[in-house]
Amino acid sequence: MEKRRLLITFFLAPSFVVLAGVVLYPFLYNVVLSFGNMNLTTIRHWDLIGFRQYVKIFTEPSQPDFYTVFWKTIVWTVVNVFFHVVLGVFLALLLNQKLRGKSIYRTILILPWAIPQYIVALTWRGMFNYEYGSLNIMINKYLGLPAVEWLKSPTEAFLACILTNVWLGFPFMMVIALGAMQSIPHELYEAAAIDGARWWHRIRMITLPLIRPIMVPAITLGTIWTFNNLNIVWLVSNAGEPADNTHILVSFVYKAAFNFYGYSYAAALSMVIFVILLLFSLAFLRTTRATEAAF
Amino acid sequence: MDQQRLTRILATATTHILLVLFAVFAVFPIWQIVNISLRPGDQLLSSTLELIPSNATLENYERLFTETEFLRWIGNSVFVAFAVTATGVVLASTAGYGFSRFRFTGRNFGLLTLLTTQMFPATMLLLPMYIMLITLGLINTFLGVIIVYSATALPFCIWTMKGYYDTIPVSLEEAARIDGCGRFQAFSRIILPLAAPALVITALFSFMTAWSEYIVAAQILQDSQLWTLPLGLKSFEASMSTQWGLYGSASLIVMVPVVLLFLALSRWLVSGLTLGSVKG
Amino acid sequence: MATLLPYAGLFLTGFLFLGCGIRDNNSSRIVIWHQMRPDEREILQRQLSRYALQHPSLEIVDIYKETEELRSGYVIASVSGQGPDLVYGPSDPVGVYAVTETIRPLEHLFPGTFLGEFDSSAFTFFRGHLYQIADKVGNHLALVYNRKYVQKPPETDEELLALGRQLLTRYGVKAGKPSVYPLTWNYTEPFFFIPFLTGFGGWVFREDGVTPNLDTPAMVEALNFIRDVRGKHKIVPGEADYEIADALFKDERAAMIINGDWSWAGYLQRGLDIGVAPLPKISRTGMWCAPMTSPKGYSMNINVPESKVPLILDLMRFLLSEENQLESVRILMTVPTRTSLYSHPDVTSNDILKNSLLQIHRGKPMPVVPEMRAVWDAMRPGYQAVMGGALSPEEAARQMQELALRKIRDMKE
Repeated sequence: MEKRRLLITFFLAPSFVVLAGVVLYPFLYNVVLSFGNMNLTTIRHWDLIGFRQYVKIFTEPSQPDFYTVFWKTIVWTVVNVFFHVVLGVFLALLLNQKLRGKSIYRTILILPWAIPQYIVALTWRGMFNYEYGSLNIMINKYLGLPAVEWLKSPTEAFLACILTNVWLGFPFMMVIALGAMQSIPHELYEAAAIDGARWWHRIRMITLPLIRPIMVPAITLGTIWTFNNLNIVWLVSNAGEPADNTHILVSFVYKAAFNFYGYSYAAALSMVIFVILLLFSLAFLRTTRATEAAF
Repeated sequence: MDQQRLTRILATATTHILLVLFAVFAVFPIWQIVNISLRPGDQLLSSTLELIPSNATLENYERLFTETEFLRWIGNSVFVAFAVTATGVVLASTAGYGFSRFRFTGRNFGLLTLLTTQMFPATMLLLPMYIMLITLGLINTFLGVIIVYSATALPFCIWTMKGYYDTIPVSLEEAARIDGCGRFQAFSRIILPLAAPALVITALFSFMTAWSEYIVAAQILQDSQLWTLPLGLKSFEASMSTQWGLYGSASLIVMVPVVLLFLALSRWLVSGLTLGSVKG
Repeated sequence: MATLLPYAGLFLTGFLFLGCGIRDNNSSRIVIWHQMRPDEREILQRQLSRYALQHPSLEIVDIYKETEELRSGYVIASVSGQGPDLVYGPSDPVGVYAVTETIRPLEHLFPGTFLGEFDSSAFTFFRGHLYQIADKVGNHLALVYNRKYVQKPPETDEELLALGRQLLTRYGVKAGKPSVYPLTWNYTEPFFFIPFLTGFGGWVFREDGVTPNLDTPAMVEALNFIRDVRGKHKIVPGEADYEIADALFKDERAAMIINGDWSWAGYLQRGLDIGVAPLPKISRTGMWCAPMTSPKGYSMNINVPESKVPLILDLMRFLLSEENQLESVRILMTVPTRTSLYSHPDVTSNDILKNSLLQIHRGKPMPVVPEMRAVWDAMRPGYQAVMGGALSPEEAARQMQELALRKIRDMKE
């Protein structure tokens, strides 16, 4: 038994040490910080003051308003993940058949994933430009419609962020779905074909249920990543423009900490985000596991 | 019969049309970057859409290599990315194996904790991490960023590895052990080669994290001699006057290796990304 | 085992290599953080390499950081006992640096005779201490016009609007957009709005210099004015951030632009025939539109060890010298801080510099108190919302004030 324990330690300890240093320690530090009063004036000598920052988050008005930002984050996450999954699975279905040029399509469709996010964000920001952006040039010159003020009004700017993030996120889901579909044994489809099942029928009865166990963890992870994606919102909307109306919770945290030096407030807000995501993941994994039994 | 053939042709045609549409959607922004990088001077802004700008020039690329420290940044990035990839592969392949093959107390908790590391806004970890790295004397060193990046990509990589190991039958190792291999040998000789697709994913993920990360690098690497590509790229952007031409051409060069990696690995990518489920 | 060996090898060599990256805070190495634009950077680098020639034992490193990153990065680094030796930038973060005790007072480090050679605008004081010495003043906005379209720059708001209408009719409208926009500026940063506020008699703080004063009739009038300029008179583009405004002017698609001294040299280099004029007067109030002005200069990190201070002071003297300031004057057309240069022919014979000096004269120094940051952030939403048509000026002014008060309270809590 000693030897077994040694083996487990050998396999797991290195990763644990690295993660403890880089993630766990800073995390605990943040927990402490969230009960303190560290800000611009107290940065050199801050104290623990209890739940003050949490009370402030939930009960005091902030700019932008916490609850508005919270709902916006939910919309942001749901819309993005929805399109990532739907587009990803849809494209995977198209690619998962005998088709000429399949690998070329697959390669091209993976490209958005391969590009560093900050380059993606700044490029799209340029494309949304009112005067010179290629989107407006297309809309205005080639379609003859009035140009859209993408980045000047809250709704359009938020839409712009979502569009960018949808573009960048669908390849991941597509690859996962494609991998899952390829692991489905051919015999199942053949049997269904003999039964005379139509294309859509086969997808609904075989493909979708069978890729589900693989999609569920991917969706969980995708949701967490999207919820916490700072880069896109921050860079496309140029730190929340117009008028701090495009923030999601993480960008709000970033602004509070690094633009306003409200370190403790930001730490408390981060804890709130953490708890939200933890509860979501536990609930999501539990319900999907419960329904899994039904199959 | 004819009816059926017609439907099939129609279906194939629709599939192609849809795929071409999405391919255009996927490529469009990339084409924009190419376009910007070829424009002369600082004319980022043009109000026409041309496939290649009419007065296309390679001067931006020339300036990039002659007037900036671009080659040094590439060298730094390559070094950091490879170090992170190696570290990531070593750590994730072992830890993933541990989670896949052993049952021990705290195993499920450990797996869930890996998932929860993704839930805390990463930027807030910066401040304590910064203080810690100063204490350890790792500020302004490659080792600092390498450690941080390895840890960033690690949870996902461990999950991927674990998920893939789960699909490899335990009987294979058992057979090897009957043949006199130790547990460790069975791991390195039998399982690891079989897990190649997942190793590729892990490597790719670690590489990408290191290749394109900006925020952490900006905090840790304060010396322009140590800058990685994203930092160099960012320096072309000033608050009031961005050197768009340089930015565009540099972006393209930064993209190329990652894109090539993806292209080369796309077959493995599809088979190696098995996240597995929590209960497994 | 065989499979793991190559990894382990790579891993280990990696660690060996890393030693190269490690540097301690030795005294022969001086680090400057700044947020200079590329053209300023070039000059700094030239000057530093000249200095390095005279001081071969020193290694001087200059590092660019974006404004926001410089500010927060510097505070965090310095509080943790690190950071550069010198930090260069406009005076506005000086208050933040001083409050966080990250820069050191300079008044006792330089002799009075040396300081006497500078115009008083070179010095940034905070709570009685000298924290920054500037090599240029300005950073101010003025009216830049393209002589191809504008012969005589407008001197009042009424002249401005009349000229705008004239230009609109002369060059016509294509596809709903004017072929040449009479005027443009950055609609996202409230910094570009300040001249209108001051023109209508307002200011960002009350007399005490720290209490925001944004919900005022002057603010409402000023917001109304710019809203009408965009919505009613239609002499400016529908949307413009800095990049768009700048590009429109560079492409000669805008006749006039409100832009800062940092941009003028670039326009000339591009071959535009430009003139710079002071911003117009608002007829109703009889007051000039006054931009904010601020010095740009060097502050010293509090962590610089005593033994190293003389080295840093020597470098500062060099960077602030007459010869080096003149270089910036010639290339960038910035206003120097050494009084002896004000009568230099390069300054007096240059039309743009003359008008620039006049504009600085009419300008107001930018407050350096940390509260200013809260005011900028409080003004930004309202300003952007009014320009985007989402808020009425009255409502925007009210929100700005409320927000500024709250942000200041949050800052201190």
